[in-house]
Amino acid sequence: MFNKRTLAIIKRELKMKLFSKSFILMTLLVPLFMIGIFSVQYFVQSLSGEQRSDLIVISDSDEILNKVQNEIFQTGPFKSGDLTTRFEKIELANFKSKLNEFKPDILEQRITGVIFIPSTLLQSKGVEYYSSNPNNSSLFYKIKPSINKALVEIYFAGKLLTEEEIKFARKDVEINGFRVSSDEKVAEEGYGNRIAMVLFSFLLYMALIFSGSMTMNAVVEEKSNKIVEVLLSSASSTELMAGKILGTVIVEVIQMAIWLSPIVLLISTSWFLIPAEFMPQMSFGFILYFLFNYAIALITYVALYATVGAIFDNPQDAQSGVWPLLMLIMIPFFIALGMEANAQSSLAQIASLFPFSSLIVMPARMILVEVPLWQILLSCAINIVVLLGIFKLAGKIYRIGILLTGKKPKWSEVFGWLKMSS
Amino acid sequence: MNVLEVKNLTKRFNGIIAVDKASFSVTEGSVFGLIGRNGAGKTTTIRMMLNIYFPDEGEVLFKGSKIEQDFKDSVGYLPEERGLYKKMKVIDMLLFLAELKGKKGNEVNKSALQYLERFDLADRKNSKVEDLSKGNQQKIQFISTVLHDPDFLIFDEPFSGLDPINTNLLKEIILEMKSKGKVVIFSTHLMEFAEKMCDSIAMIDKGKIILNGKLSEMKEKYASKNVSLNYQGNISFLNSHPMIESIEDYGNTTGIKLKNENSDQELLKLLMANNISIKKFNVDEISLHEIFVLLAGKEAANV
Repeated sequence: MFNKRTLAIIKRELKMKLFSKSFILMTLLVPLFMIGIFSVQYFVQSLSGEQRSDLIVISDSDEILNKVQNEIFQTGPFKSGDLTTRFEKIELANFKSKLNEFKPDILEQRITGVIFIPSTLLQSKGVEYYSSNPNNSSLFYKIKPSINKALVEIYFAGKLLTEEEIKFARKDVEINGFRVSSDEKVAEEGYGNRIAMVLFSFLLYMALIFSGSMTMNAVVEEKSNKIVEVLLSSASSTELMAGKILGTVIVEVIQMAIWLSPIVLLISTSWFLIPAEFMPQMSFGFILYFLFNYAIALITYVALYATVGAIFDNPQDAQSGVWPLLMLIMIPFFIALGMEANAQSSLAQIASLFPFSSLIVMPARMILVEVPLWQILLSCAINIVVLLGIFKLAGKIYRIGILLTGKKPKWSEVFGWLKMSS
Repeated sequence: MNVLEVKNLTKRFNGIIAVDKASFSVTEGSVFGLIGRNGAGKTTTIRMMLNIYFPDEGEVLFKGSKIEQDFKDSVGYLPEERGLYKKMKVIDMLLFLAELKGKKGNEVNKSALQYLERFDLADRKNSKVEDLSKGNQQKIQFISTVLHDPDFLIFDEPFSGLDPINTNLLKEIILEMKSKGKVVIFSTHLMEFAEKMCDSIAMIDKGKIILNGKLSEMKEKYASKNVSLNYQGNISFLNSHPMIESIEDYGNTTGIKLKNENSDQELLKLLMANNISIKKFNVDEISLHEIFVLLAGKEAANV
């Protein structure tokens, strides 16, 4: 399979791709694109908090209204004018009819919402919020502490407690994450690794889909412009496929290494000044593992994409054949993103060892937690076995598909090819 | 001596037999024609000869042993549906295809430039293939077929889609290769070309080889009892004549098959007696087309 013909094909792929405009553009644009996405997200998040809110606070108790008013007047959003409040005292029995009065205003967004703090619910701190958008977390973030503080003060007012004790009661629990690993030090965990996980998973996801579809289109093109028969008169279909895939893999790994070089510099030098909480904790070994895993993932997926390309003789049909592959990449990607909540859930553990998903989930998991060495080795072994199997199956389908033109084959026919001798 | 032997090759696609126990052999230094209608199984046979398809049954022997990579390396193949990498430079394209055949370095480089020179394409060597006209792309394809100096040339329907200039160019290449002692194998449905260029032929119809051997011997065998006639007038009286076996009208000529070998003079007299104006009366001559119709049946007449 690996001989001078495979080598000639690999060389051609490298020559055509490494020096192509699209390679250079992609190499430069993807990092810009990533930075763009992160900044857009940051921007959108900060925008959503800046929206003006007009609230009406209703209670049956003057004490509650006064205290809450005092607290809210001291908050930043109120001072900056982003938050306006009106306070109304109402008997409990009249609340429903009062709410109906406000209904048109709420629906037409003239007021953002109504906060109802009945004195009867003081002990349970049950506060009701009526709005057309009742799950506005950025609003809650602004007013919750003020309301909490007011209620706590009222509750403890009659009891003989010192200011300090009240302060303690008011305070929320703070959980600081410390990463325990086999290293000596126990490091306090910032956002760095979570950002890195999203970044790495996203890179992997995008690069796989992109290089896969590029290869697929190249195979369809070879097929539709008929050069493939000339090539097959010199090389076998396996040599052709292997050359094509390995050529693509080499190009893509080089590209990925270029993309990762800033991260290598980030973790190995102190050239960049970034806040400690954004600093990912990552070893150089992990970067190497990531590239190795990427190469395996590429061979697996690119072989599958090339096979789909070989089955169809025009890009439109090939697109329709590609959705099972997209699922194989997208589902693990979303599992990986979901691990932000808990990287040790059983879903995460299984997915990081399961064929195909392991290729995307395992590196993400390794960024978040320390994965036992045996699991890493097992996942590598599983992936390599899957890769060999895929290569064999793909080779069979490729061999038959590559010269078939005309009618779009049915999936049942494609499975039939697997049983054929040639 | 037979360099290439095709033995009982069979290939089925989805249960339909494309090639059915095809056997023939190709002798050294000859031009061999694989002749048949479209869909007869010519391309499938050629692809099996090149190991592009694996046969379901049978084998192809090269100098007595099963074909391997060394045979593939010594073949120049021009498929019916031709293609090149459109984005590659002309010279890179040629060198890449030669490298796949195991030829690289200065020599092949020089030879590529010589061919480009010969076909007036030297100034286009750094152009992209897609920037060339269709005719020039065909020339590049011819060069890529012979650049690695193959011992065998296999052309599948070589003249389809060629303009007259390239048709002549390709004929020139085939004759040049023949004069160098190379084996040229081509498939075609154009009988006149095969008749003019081939030493031996195999006729294939519905996947079966219906005739194979030296063209000269074949003609000898089928020509006796055969008269090729050009005339003016009405010869319908011959239809029921006892000495005639059959009459085939091929447009330009009419082939008359006699029941007895020695009745040609009698036929001539009969025609004269019936005031038929005779332009050509050729005894013992039979065209490949006529042989094909004879063997493949009447429905094959409009090949």
